[in-house]
Amino acid sequence: MACEPNRVRLLCMLSLTFGFFIVEVVVSRITASLAMLSDSFHMLSDVIALVVALVAVRFAEKTQSTNKNTFGWIRAEVMGALVNAVFLTALCFTIILEAVERFTNPHEIEKPHVVIGVGAAGLLVNLLGLCLFHGHAGGGHGHSHGGGHSHGNKKNKRGKICKSERPNGSSGEESNNLVGSHNSPPNGVNTERHRHEIVRNDSEVHMNGSVVYEDMDHSHDEASLNMRGVFLHVLGDALGSVIVVVNALIFTFVWRPCPPGETCFNPCHSTDHQHVNHTLVDLFVDSNGSSFQRTMVGPCWVLYLDPTLCIIMVGILLYTTYPLLKESALILLQTVPKQIDMHRLNERLLLLDGVLAIHELHIWQLAGSRIIATAHIKCHDPTSYMDVAKRIKDFFHNEGIHATTIQPEFVTVNSESSASLCELSCRTQCAPKLCCGATDKPGVAGTGPAGTEKGPSGEGKALAASAMEVISEIPEGAAGAGASVLEQAAAAVIQVVPRIPEPEVIITREVESSL
Amino acid sequence: MLPLCIKDDEYKPAKFNLLAKISGWFRSILSDKTSRNLFFFLCLNLSFAFVELSYGIWSNSLGLISDSFHMFFDCTALLAGLAASVISRWRSNDSFSYGYVRAEVLAGFVNGLFLIFTAFFIFSEGVERALEPPHVNHDRLLPVSVAGLLVNLVGIFVFQHGGHGHSHGGDEGHGHSHSLFNGSAGHGHSHGGHGHESKHGDGHSHGDGHSHGGHGHSHDDPHCHDELHTPGKGSSKQILQGVFLHIVADTLGSVGVIISAILMQKYDLMIADPICSMCISILIGVSVVPLLRESIGILMQRTPPSLDNALPECYQRVQQLQGVYNLQEPHFWTLCTDVYIGTLKLLIAPDADGKWILSQTHNIFTQAGIRQLYVQIEVAAM
Repeated sequence: MACEPNRVRLLCMLSLTFGFFIVEVVVSRITASLAMLSDSFHMLSDVIALVVALVAVRFAEKTQSTNKNTFGWIRAEVMGALVNAVFLTALCFTIILEAVERFTNPHEIEKPHVVIGVGAAGLLVNLLGLCLFHGHAGGGHGHSHGGGHSHGNKKNKRGKICKSERPNGSSGEESNNLVGSHNSPPNGVNTERHRHEIVRNDSEVHMNGSVVYEDMDHSHDEASLNMRGVFLHVLGDALGSVIVVVNALIFTFVWRPCPPGETCFNPCHSTDHQHVNHTLVDLFVDSNGSSFQRTMVGPCWVLYLDPTLCIIMVGILLYTTYPLLKESALILLQTVPKQIDMHRLNERLLLLDGVLAIHELHIWQLAGSRIIATAHIKCHDPTSYMDVAKRIKDFFHNEGIHATTIQPEFVTVNSESSASLCELSCRTQCAPKLCCGATDKPGVAGTGPAGTEKGPSGEGKALAASAMEVISEIPEGAAGAGASVLEQAAAAVIQVVPRIPEPEVIITREVESSL
Repeated sequence: MLPLCIKDDEYKPAKFNLLAKISGWFRSILSDKTSRNLFFFLCLNLSFAFVELSYGIWSNSLGLISDSFHMFFDCTALLAGLAASVISRWRSNDSFSYGYVRAEVLAGFVNGLFLIFTAFFIFSEGVERALEPPHVNHDRLLPVSVAGLLVNLVGIFVFQHGGHGHSHGGDEGHGHSHSLFNGSAGHGHSHGGHGHESKHGDGHSHGDGHSHGGHGHSHDDPHCHDELHTPGKGSSKQILQGVFLHIVADTLGSVGVIISAILMQKYDLMIADPICSMCISILIGVSVVPLLRESIGILMQRTPPSLDNALPECYQRVQQLQGVYNLQEPHFWTLCTDVYIGTLKLLIAPDADGKWILSQTHNIFTQAGIRQLYVQIEVAAM
């Protein structure tokens, strides 16, 4: 299928790294160097990271909905990114541990020439990987230049083509309106507003269902979240190789080892026993006054160079991994995407004709640019509903949210003032358990008090007065609705009663909900 | 009555009071049983880690120092669980319309990942040591690991007993069923073999001062049982499962260390240590798989496994309602444990009663356990 370039690159890098891992293991056996063996395990962890990313990419291509995964497997990208980020963090901890050990117990490098050779080869492999994945990462860390962006755009276009080719799965609804411009902007509010202006002008284009490619800044494109993870991993490895090579070079040229056959004095706290023994012998010899030539083993700071560089590298890695970790975690936490302002959205929705109130508005990001929204919208009656529904859908499309599910709620007969109440909310005993501790009252979760109470329809104001009316009206008016009467009455009662002390409730709720 | 003195203090804007914020967090932690237990274990763990660290520095034993660092690493798992249990109780706001409840699933997943990473690490160290067996000084090995095991067992016993006090539904057995064969203080192993320093015969106390007990598995039942629980106390099954696995992972490790120490002392089988490490790492890996599978399913927005049978029935019933032509695009997913959310689209006849269909649909799905449902109605053009 399409989206080939990602997979090809990953496979390429994977095979290279795996081959190198084998080489390192063999070399370590030949030279009996433990350091090489542990470095080879480092390579193995790299291989695993690449495998994870590859699996995620393979899964994410299956955007078709299945029985069990009705949204398709597209979230696999985000998961892959998270796994890689967590893996990197754990690796960093391990490296810190080893560095600390090295501090207390410095080692000399044995056979530095071999280390230089292997290190240089590893560095080459990693640099190649960096080049391969550089464009995909979009250079979120200041590497962004024009070339990077054009890469990103091209990849995105191919990516969008992949997505638009899928059959009528869950995506059928949003058709092919995955507009690239609605990815989260790198900076905050200003660009978002700006983009909204642009989008509104292009609203007709969106409606036609054509795929619109806007040449926007893709540096934080979520579709490449996974690739960013891989890029960071390869970057970490490259840094590691750099450190290895630098260290070995400095060691070769600066360090004066203990020449074989001579007595020498090792002032550094080293693990080499013969040096310690030799110092004692040394003292004895010198006390005879034979020679002042006491060869001292090379400058000690060289031994401490390795752990220091490691710690610096860990600092760099953690600093660059943190944004990735945060972003993927936020997506998985069902947060509202950064570019969407719930408050404003709510207000603007209320401004639409025919919309009396909005309940339970939830907007979350599935992966990449697929944003999903659900809401209950209260309108007058079923006949006006289809009209309102279309307008609401258009509104959401303009915002970049293409998969929406709007549940209509019709105002019950004669009770205009109950427009803020959610007609079809949960029953009595489920009310406190409604949404995992979001609020104590159903029907307000997510909208905030501002959306319903201060709506221009002004419906919310007279709740206290209408409490009694509502309760008495519903059984009469909706008698024909069968079993739903009791629920609605119950729901209405539940909702009305706590709202009577209105002003204070609003204030406290606002405080609580903003935490 | 004239005011003699006017204090302006009340009108000062509230400063960012760090102390108040932290004390707020403490109150939140101590209010819930799960987080309270986690917090105490974390403190216990940290104190043991510090004790080990200081002892190691004082006696200049690198093994102890590295073991204490690994305990710190372990503490991060506990910290993640604690943070998740506190965060998941925060209220929803503009950025998090569902609240922060997913934090528990995420914490369980991250803990599982850490565990897998630990298992991999131990395995690799075991391989290294198998290829090049270092000389392990096991003088102080046995007593320390026995002490660690005893503490672990006591902790597990105490907290398992307390944990089952609240069993309502059958869900809890679930959380514990994979715990017991899992624990490994793999950490004990991973530095017995920083084989490098054991070359100079340090008192290589390999011990596992980890005293991780089990948990107060406070499983507040989220089902509608006519009791009003505070909404925030939804089951924190994921967190507890993840942290429990991590903690019991230490116990098995102590056992493994003891076994290998005995083997080494009695039969001088140096190969026992790496083999034990590898076995334990495999055990850890295997036991983490259920937790990972579950949390991955939730995070991938998979249809809740417990509803796999109930949903097709519900679809049938909805389609049999009068006026409903078709049911399209059903999406059901788990927000957090036992809270399901669903959306679907119904195509109805132009003359059908929309309100009635809506409420009936809600009824049908509420019986299946889905309380948050969004039904979009589309009227077929005739």
